Amino acid sequence: MDKNIKILIVDDFTTMRKVIRNLLKSVGYENIIEAEDGAIALRTLKNNEVDFIISDWNMPNMSGLELLKAVRADSELSKTPFLMVTAEALQDNVIAAVKAGVSNYIVKPFTAEVLNTKIEKILETL
Amino acid sequence: MNIEALLKSIDLIASDFLFLDSQDMNIPTAGKFLNSLEGLTGEAAELGIVPVLDVAKGMNVILECVILDSLADKEKAISTFERGIALLQEIADEYKKTGGYSKEYASYLQQAGAVTGMVIEAKGAARAVETKQADPPQEEKQPDAEVSGQPFLIQDESLLRDFIAEGTEYIEEIEVNILNLENNPEDKDYINAIFRPFHSIKGVASFLNLEKIRGLSHNLESLLDKARNGELSVTPQLIDVVLAGADALKSMISSLKEALEGRNGNPLDVDLSDLEKRIQNVDKGIEQERSVKKLGEILIEDGALSEEALEEGLKIKASNPDKKIGEALIQKGTVTPKQVSQALRKQAEQASELSTIRVDTRKLDDLIDMVGELVITQTMVQQDISNQENGTKNLTRNIAQLFRIASGLQKVSTSLRMIPIKQTFQRMARLARDVSKNVGKNVVVEMEGEDTELDRNMVDEIYNPLVHMIRNSVDHGLETSEERLQCGKPEKGVIQLKAYHRGGNFVVEISDDGRGLNREKLLKKALANHVVNNVEGLTDQEIYRLIFLPGFSTAEKVTDVSGRGVGMDVVRQAVEKLRGKIEIESTPGKGTTFIARFPLTMAIIDGMIVKIGKERFILPTTAIRQALRPTREAYNHIMGQGETVNVMGQLMPLVRVYDLFNIEPEKVNPWDAILIVVEGATSSKCLLVDQIIGKAEVVIKSLGDGLRDIDGISGGAIMGDGQIGLIIDPEGLFELSERC
Repeated sequence: MDKNIKILIVDDFTTMRKVIRNLLKSVGYENIIEAEDGAIALRTLKNNEVDFIISDWNMPNMSGLELLKAVRADSELSKTPFLMVTAEALQDNVIAAVKAGVSNYIVKPFTAEVLNTKIEKILETL
Repeated sequence: MNIEALLKSIDLIASDFLFLDSQDMNIPTAGKFLNSLEGLTGEAAELGIVPVLDVAKGMNVILECVILDSLADKEKAISTFERGIALLQEIADEYKKTGGYSKEYASYLQQAGAVTGMVIEAKGAARAVETKQADPPQEEKQPDAEVSGQPFLIQDESLLRDFIAEGTEYIEEIEVNILNLENNPEDKDYINAIFRPFHSIKGVASFLNLEKIRGLSHNLESLLDKARNGELSVTPQLIDVVLAGADALKSMISSLKEALEGRNGNPLDVDLSDLEKRIQNVDKGIEQERSVKKLGEILIEDGALSEEALEEGLKIKASNPDKKIGEALIQKGTVTPKQVSQALRKQAEQASELSTIRVDTRKLDDLIDMVGELVITQTMVQQDISNQENGTKNLTRNIAQLFRIASGLQKVSTSLRMIPIKQTFQRMARLARDVSKNVGKNVVVEMEGEDTELDRNMVDEIYNPLVHMIRNSVDHGLETSEERLQCGKPEKGVIQLKAYHRGGNFVVEISDDGRGLNREKLLKKALANHVVNNVEGLTDQEIYRLIFLPGFSTAEKVTDVSGRGVGMDVVRQAVEKLRGKIEIESTPGKGTTFIARFPLTMAIIDGMIVKIGKERFILPTTAIRQALRPTREAYNHIMGQGETVNVMGQLMPLVRVYDLFNIEPEKVNPWDAILIVVEGATSSKCLLVDQIIGKAEVVIKSLGDGLRDIDGISGGAIMGDGQIGLIIDPEGLFELSERC
């Protein structure tokens, strides 16, 4: 599995981004960039070749779902894998994300191994 | 819509499924099928084909369970899904041929229910079992979130530090927004703004294994979620409990900090059971909502009436709809007229508590704007009439009457936007307490005049400068407890917040009973920091004012609270931006008082109208120090240094406003013209004008988007004669003059 993919972490909580970054590093992903909300994420996506998006659900200004929809609507980004991070598996939220084309979702808190498995599974289907 | 389209949609799903191997029913595929099914149900609903709707519903449930990973036997579920596709085709085919479907299909729903563990009811469009939270078995089934051995426990000190810092910030944000919410309980944005930080704190806390923090923020979050969905209303109790929760989180986080620093053994050893109980109570809506009670209820509460008697009274009322319940009861002799009138008064009191309405501030602003225009137009009419000799006596009198009404209307409409300063003071008091705790001082906060009213927009604007002043008073003004005891003062320092109206201004005083400003120290500091070069002959007041100059800070060490390099000059700038003024009074050993004066509203400015050439300008009176006509000797022009004027022994730069704005002036020599001494943030300058026309209160108008950032001009105003005068921004004008 390619550990060199460029991963974008989107979360408004700096500490949370760091948590995810640390988890990713512990399973070998080093090429990581961050964005603190959906709007910044979109800009970052335009300027970087991002291979994988990990985004929080609940963010100010632009929610994770809105970001997902914007990404899927963009012809250049529409195929980029998108892993949604949620605090709990609220059925309505999850279904909405899946309908909007999310690649998978992950419930906080999670271990590095679970995160790794989710990423690898998504990458396999590409 | 025809059945062909439906058949096509079903075929599309079938062919999608064909290319799928059952192992590969992943989330994106499930999403795709969900979307196809949604489209298909839409078509079927239009055609009224109920069996298709029902079968699709069963399939929907299977897909949702795939997504939520709650299937015991995924393979079986997927083959059930496949059978669903076949069934859909069969139903649609038969509808096409016969216009109906005669066979039994309910068993399909049972099968789908069996593989998913849900009860699926037939005949309905969308979803089967509405469970908000994904079903518990699924949570257990998630191999990811296996709790055993706490696999997600992260013991990372740097993360913990980040969490402490960021978490504290978030809680402060929550506090501010709660107070906003209290003022606008209907505003979903504020609920969201409080919900989100709790949510974020919860998320990180779960990773850091801070169970108590996670649990509490989770409970608060779900409370807010209900408020957001309208399941709970934003009551004072809800606000209180959320505030208390924020406090508890804050103290847990700060004890976490202490633990990191090795000062405290067990950081999260706090008892939250009381708080949790309160949260639960609010959650269940145990506190009763305030509403106007019925007369009968009040009478029963007062003990004047039994429930049986009330029922009888209600029966009478039912047969005589015109009769009021009170009348009916009096007639029957169950209650006395006095009791009824008392109860009625109580009812009226309760109702009056509710007799406020919420109005969008934009509407208010429009109203105030329009009234402002009315006043101006009215003044114009008045001037026209006094200019015309033939204005009749009656007309003059009626116009004067109109004038009174218009200005009354203006007063009332402006007052609509006024709110008491209470909330802000309460936030200040809270802040003072928090700050004093941080710096280890013992403080009581006293408030006076909390009911004094101020323009809503101003309330928000003055918050930051006030915060800074409070921090300053607690940090620098007050002594430590030991020092106070040594001076024979009570151990507790007093911070006093006072608000009142004076001379058309809103005045806030912040006093401390601390050590007072030290003249000598201020002077030494000012010289050392090159804030001033000459301190001869300065009055006390002038010396105190030194602390408002940039680059001045008397704090000996940089503390956590204030003294981060931002000094009181920032406060002064902020106050002046609001066209306010700030003063200091201080007695050594007794304390210091900051007095900030603000205009009551940002919409009206008290100005001096001056004329330059044919143009008229308005100078804010708050910025004007004096006006004079200098002698020829007072004027100096030094090459390379520019022009100066000696104003009472002080050399001040001369600004020829007509040069800056390219106007043909009437007077060029300062000794012929008028000089207006204007104070900016850091210096004073003399503006050369032709003539002073007078003083006026004008309504500030923006010049529109295209003319927003004009140096030296802050806006425009319609003058009494209908012409426009520009309002001068002294600070901007100074900058402009220095550039030219």
